[in-house]
Amino acid sequence: MTNSLGDIQKSKAIIIFGANPAVNHPVGFQHFLKAKERNNSQLIVIDPRFTKTAAKADIYAQIRPGTDIPFMYGMLNIIFQNGWDDKEYVDARVFGMDKIREEAKKWTPELVEDVTGVPAQTLIQITNLYAKNRPGTLIWAMGLTQHSIGTSNTRMAPILQLALGNMGKAGGGTNILRGHDNVQGATDMGCLADSLPGYYGLAEGSWKYFAKSWGVEFEYLEKQFKDKSWMSKNGFSLARWWAGVQNVKSDEKIENAGTSLKALLVFGNGITSVAQQAKIKEGLDNLDMLVLADPFVNEAAILTDKKDNVFILPAATQFETSGLVVATNRSAQWRYKVVEPLYESKPDQEIMFELAKRLGFYEQYTKGMLMQETKDGKLEMIPNKKDFVWPEDATNEIARIIKTIGLTGWTAERVKKHTDNWHMFDEVSGAGMGPMKGEYYGLPWPCWTKTHGGSPNLYDTSISVKEGGMGFRNNFGLEKDGVNLLAEKGSFPKGSKIEAGYPEITKANIEAVLGITLTEEEKAACGANWKVDNSGILVQKCMEAGVCPYGNAKARAIVWNFPDHIPMHREPLHSPRHDLTLKYPAYADKANHFRVMTKYISVQSAKDYSKEFPINMVTGRLVTMNGAGIENRASKYIAALTPEMFCDIHPDLAHKHGIKNGHMMWIHSPEGTKIKVKAKYSYTVLPDMVFMPFHFAGYFQGVDRTGNFPAGTKPFASGESVNTVTNYGYDIITQIPETKGGLCRVEKA
Amino acid sequence: MMEYARMKFYCDESRCIECDGCSIACAEAHELPVGISRRKVITINEGIPGKEFSTSVACMHCTDAPCEQVCPVDCFYIREDGIVLHDKEKCIGCGYCLYACPFGAPQFPRDGAFGAKGAMDKCTMCAGGPLETNSEKERHLYGQNRIAEGKVPLCAAMCSTKALLVGDAQSVSNIFRARVAARGKGANAPYGWDKAYKNQ
Amino acid sequence: MKKYLYMFIATLALASVAWATESQIWGEMRIQNILGYGQEESLKLGVLFTFLQSKYFAWIFLAVLIGVPTVFFVHYKLVGPKVFPHSHKKHYAFNLFHRTVHQIAAISFLVLVPTGFIIVFGDFFGGGTLVRMAKNLHGIFTIPFAIVVIPMALMWLKEALFNFEDVKWFMILGGYLSKEKQIINATQFNAGQKMWYWVAILGGITMILSGAMMFFLDFKMEMLHNLTGLSQIDLLRVAAIVHNVMGFAVVALFITHVYMSMFAIKGAVNSIITGYVEEEEVKFLHNAWYKKLKEKGKF
Repeated sequence: MTNSLGDIQKSKAIIIFGANPAVNHPVGFQHFLKAKERNNSQLIVIDPRFTKTAAKADIYAQIRPGTDIPFMYGMLNIIFQNGWDDKEYVDARVFGMDKIREEAKKWTPELVEDVTGVPAQTLIQITNLYAKNRPGTLIWAMGLTQHSIGTSNTRMAPILQLALGNMGKAGGGTNILRGHDNVQGATDMGCLADSLPGYYGLAEGSWKYFAKSWGVEFEYLEKQFKDKSWMSKNGFSLARWWAGVQNVKSDEKIENAGTSLKALLVFGNGITSVAQQAKIKEGLDNLDMLVLADPFVNEAAILTDKKDNVFILPAATQFETSGLVVATNRSAQWRYKVVEPLYESKPDQEIMFELAKRLGFYEQYTKGMLMQETKDGKLEMIPNKKDFVWPEDATNEIARIIKTIGLTGWTAERVKKHTDNWHMFDEVSGAGMGPMKGEYYGLPWPCWTKTHGGSPNLYDTSISVKEGGMGFRNNFGLEKDGVNLLAEKGSFPKGSKIEAGYPEITKANIEAVLGITLTEEEKAACGANWKVDNSGILVQKCMEAGVCPYGNAKARAIVWNFPDHIPMHREPLHSPRHDLTLKYPAYADKANHFRVMTKYISVQSAKDYSKEFPINMVTGRLVTMNGAGIENRASKYIAALTPEMFCDIHPDLAHKHGIKNGHMMWIHSPEGTKIKVKAKYSYTVLPDMVFMPFHFAGYFQGVDRTGNFPAGTKPFASGESVNTVTNYGYDIITQIPETKGGLCRVEKA
Repeated sequence: MMEYARMKFYCDESRCIECDGCSIACAEAHELPVGISRRKVITINEGIPGKEFSTSVACMHCTDAPCEQVCPVDCFYIREDGIVLHDKEKCIGCGYCLYACPFGAPQFPRDGAFGAKGAMDKCTMCAGGPLETNSEKERHLYGQNRIAEGKVPLCAAMCSTKALLVGDAQSVSNIFRARVAARGKGANAPYGWDKAYKNQ
Repeated sequence: MKKYLYMFIATLALASVAWATESQIWGEMRIQNILGYGQEESLKLGVLFTFLQSKYFAWIFLAVLIGVPTVFFVHYKLVGPKVFPHSHKKHYAFNLFHRTVHQIAAISFLVLVPTGFIIVFGDFFGGGTLVRMAKNLHGIFTIPFAIVVIPMALMWLKEALFNFEDVKWFMILGGYLSKEKQIINATQFNAGQKMWYWVAILGGITMILSGAMMFFLDFKMEMLHNLTGLSQIDLLRVAAIVHNVMGFAVVALFITHVYMSMFAIKGAVNSIITGYVEEEEVKFLHNAWYKKLKEKGKF
């Protein structure tokens, strides 16, 4: 999220692609409603389904799943034709918009109508409304990302915002609604297969920085890998780890150092809410060992036929532990413990500590919490400190190490102070009052120094860096094909010493860029660049000069290191429009994509799926549940509201198949899997699509597996997992599964 | 003439998103048996653009409450602040109040053999019952008495979008009017007010 | 043989009630009575019920409870009972099965009517345990009546069909306004008895069904909705109104029935106890039947 939920109240228009905040973010949605109420903001919703959010919209477009790029190009086409784009902004701050202009020209309203199913008139109306009410904020969530072209989707949306000059403005920005408690924090901490904490890459330099910061030898880390080359390779992703398990039937080549996955350790991840449930089951069945740490029984244990070496560890809930959590707008909040862990349950970190002790790396694991930076840019053990205090010391360690996204200011003490003085911050801007003046609630990152007040809106040049202002990041060089990649003259954060673009700050260029001279001591103390500078001198000098440490560059509309340099429409792998798959084909198959060969065009072109599977299938959330739903289904009141798995089906489609409301139906997928669910008549879906929630588990392809629950742990509600029938398909960059654009066939049960 | 503050419910349909936070909060707060919903969220015209809306309904604590008029054992009483309460020890579970209620508020737990109904249960606006305030028995029969503690009823406190409001008529009306004025539309009286409060 | 058939039918009727209780909809949170904007209470049944229940029902019941016995008291004082000698020949008219069925119904009514009144005047009795018990008894004693109502209907159906003579009976109100013993040309049942038969059977079944609906609240009968086009809550409202209105008639005629058998015709009650009807009684009050019995050589 570049801005914040409160900031949405400043928007004049809100456009939502593939998100349903009324259901997924009910509390956050009040800001949308208040924007409508207080600011006469226009709410525009583009979604395949008439969601609860759509019910509150001023205008709604029912789009075919997976066609957001054509829709946005359609909007851009109209915007460019009418000259509604912010040319001055684009010239100064955006690289490669010309290529977008060219592509947009192709997407006439009529073509967009054919591809997306949205009437040309509606497209024109929406574009008009959105372009003429600025600042406009653009919201998205999983509806945009969970596609084989998810990455392109998420590039397309900011491009639309850039064209309108909506980025880096209060009331504007691209605001991605994070779906779970602290998922932003989890991402920031690198719970990913392709980065280290804080988005540090897997390059040797990053590993060396972390080795130093953790107080261990680089060689020690290196020894943990088969050989050094594996340090810089992506791991298996959550979406496709099962492909690496021995004996899982697959024709997709694995590149996993010549071995297979033996054990799986799961901390609070609803494995049953991930696509390809049948393959996941196969993976689980063939593991040597499965460990599940959860407050409730993780239904992976129910799904698998594995009889031995399945361990269920009782993890404590968030109410039984404390620590820092990160909200969707990059702000931190302290969470205090409410009760001691119940019965024999343990907080996650204690389980991990015990594991580390037994595996013999506890000392290395916890050493970082006992260290501090010195003024001369070195690291030392904190004098007389023997034991760490959880979680304060861990928080301080994070603040000390993670500089890429500016967590330097997030000391435990400061974050607690914010939480304790919650009432002293403005609901809309997050700005503090009284003793909290000059700081934004939760110190949204980047929070450059221990006195910085946080950055409420990313890329906002209307305020100084000290107050949270910044330009776009310089991360990809100074020029490309002779075009300047830095911001043009005149575009800079307010109060900057440099009134133009500038590169990211390094030890080598700081004197030249800032026009200052460092003392010899300073030179000796500071690190190679601002990201690895333990002394903090580089950042400090930048603050003094009103300069953003990461530079002031142009946003890239062209990404030359991606398969599609500019976002291009590609039909879902399983498209209901076979004719369009020929015109807009999927990517070439990709070998070694997170260690496993991943198919694109070979799946898409194998046959015309729409003949046998003519129905679009989308999945999503219910307001009463989240994730795999196990904790919600274990609540009797919530289970009473949503007691069983169901499928939203249009009465017209149901009649065609003789399916009565409340009767059971089968959903068949092109994967050869099927689920049996209850039909629920609904006008929220079109007659060519069905919708199912992904919160249920316990049944598999019509078979009740809830007998596998240990006595007394069965939830009040169980049902088929929709992910048993979600289709094959993964994003080309992130490997997120394509659950928001698949096909199925329905049948009376 | 001194007028007593009249307590009212108001659910703002342009804000209600059917999150069911109110109904779950209510059930948890009063530890209701499953199946007893003192409060329920309903969506009307679901899936029809421009016509769909949601609202949260419970006992509206009506002026001239119909339930009070039809009760054969006269177990209802109306407080000076307008909150309609009833005596569960008097109630025989006949169901007449349900037939009279325009909102479907009265709930009946299954009690004992033959599917016989127990004493009626309904929203108390978190004001307990006729027993000693905040006594164990009051809590057991009627749930929390938050009003006596100066707290807002839990449904409104928990409402995610602050669609559901409860308070004295004047304050509620002021908020309603302010919201309508800000939106510049939707000046119709809130759902149920015509029946419950005769639009006053 | 016939007996078993009756029993079978009765079991079926009972089973259908029991089945209705097995609905899973108890968990469906609330009986829907909000039909949507503009549509809600399109029949105004809620308002109608509230109006009737708050203003009229209790008063009408009170009027019936006091009025009917008063009329009979006056009748008893002014006209007096009809007395027939009980020493003459008797005819065995009601066999054990008839009497058992009748007695079960009689006992049910003896509980149902007073408990019904206790519910109606619940506020007089102060609500609580007593009235709640009355309500439960009211429900429980519906079961024996429900079991016998169909056998009873079948066993007396032929005799209870109206004919032309019944019109005459109504013209003179069965001769009960006169002190003299007139010969009334009625069959086994006179028109008054027939009227009671129909009210007790049809009214009784109506009372059972409407009562069951009110008792179970969330019974699920798709058929009823389709047939009537009414929502669940409106069905319940109809049931409540019907139950009360039909209650007036049943109670009024029940009191009449008791008065006739116990007081108006001295000793008439014995015939349903022993099964034997007195020749004199039959000769005067059921002359058509008397003639038929004579022909057959009874008495």
